[in-house]
Amino acid sequence: MLIIFIRAIIVFVTLIIIMRLMGKRQIGEMQPFEFIITLLIAELACVPMTDVSIPLIYGIVSIVAVFILHQLLTIFEQLSVGFKCVVDGKPAVVINKNGVDIKELKKNNMDVSDLIESLRGTGNFSLDSVYYAIYESNGKLSVLENENAESEEDLPLLLVSEGKINKKNYSLTELNENIFDNFLKENGIKKIGDIEVMTVSGSGKVYLQLKKQKYKITEIKLKEGVKW
Amino acid sequence: MVKSVISVIVATALIAFGAIWENVKLNNAFNELIVCIDEINLKLEDGTASKDDILSLQSLWIKKKEGLHVYIPHTEIKEIDLWIAEATTYVVYGKNDEALAKLEVVKELCEQIPKTFSVRLENLL
Repeated sequence: MLIIFIRAIIVFVTLIIIMRLMGKRQIGEMQPFEFIITLLIAELACVPMTDVSIPLIYGIVSIVAVFILHQLLTIFEQLSVGFKCVVDGKPAVVINKNGVDIKELKKNNMDVSDLIESLRGTGNFSLDSVYYAIYESNGKLSVLENENAESEEDLPLLLVSEGKINKKNYSLTELNENIFDNFLKENGIKKIGDIEVMTVSGSGKVYLQLKKQKYKITEIKLKEGVKW
Repeated sequence: MVKSVISVIVATALIAFGAIWENVKLNNAFNELIVCIDEINLKLEDGTASKDDILSLQSLWIKKKEGLHVYIPHTEIKEIDLWIAEATTYVVYGKNDEALAKLEVVKELCEQIPKTFSVRLENLL
């Protein structure tokens, strides 16, 4: 009985570590340890039920072990904020007044395209349409909307992310090298690697954020009739 | 929070009590079987073992295994069932050497099974 109990603890702790290392992407709206408990209990309850050669007590003891751990984690979380941060993680501010915080995104194993995808889920299609975007510890994105942001009719496309051009989006915008090079010169950009984030909307509005700089809204001249 | 603390204490106490209970039950059951096997082994070596002796071992095992199903995998119980059944047949037909060999295996299983439930690194891993 003790063996199953200890094994359940080992599996639980291992899963907690793995889930925390995975960052927020793998988690739904549950706290990491709640997610693990859901996974574990389903499996623990299932195996002794389906395999009659295993005594039922094995499943029961394992589930009780998980329950004890859940209760202990809840108690410790109530007693210590630091412990709560270690187990559940803390909210990550991924968009602030300076723009996208790439470092914070990377800490959570995400990139700009993931952020834009999450933003769309909140009804915001442009990076400048929010003042702040925060990934909560349960993986949900909360935003403080920018009421002054212009409403857009066209979907902004991510053109450059962390110094790399998105070739598919680049071809959709039908930009040619001359226009793009001129744009870079006009904005004092020596190389594409200096661009942290660049999105382009159908009206030619550009969200441009250079490395270690605040984002700015500028414009680029698109070919007439270009749509995506 | 008080409710959580109480539930943790109660659940942990239940597990601890269950673990001690399991340990005692397993050791008692298998020790009793080992004593019975040793007695039969001596008789088999003397050539005085009878059908009743081996049948008494078999009935003792049947009685004990009812309780053991709660703690140990049913496949291990089945394994002992088979070895005892074989030993019984050999004793009935007077093949004492073969019966001795079969009972040695049963004895080994009776010694090893409780060990797999003790808290040891090899069992944990």
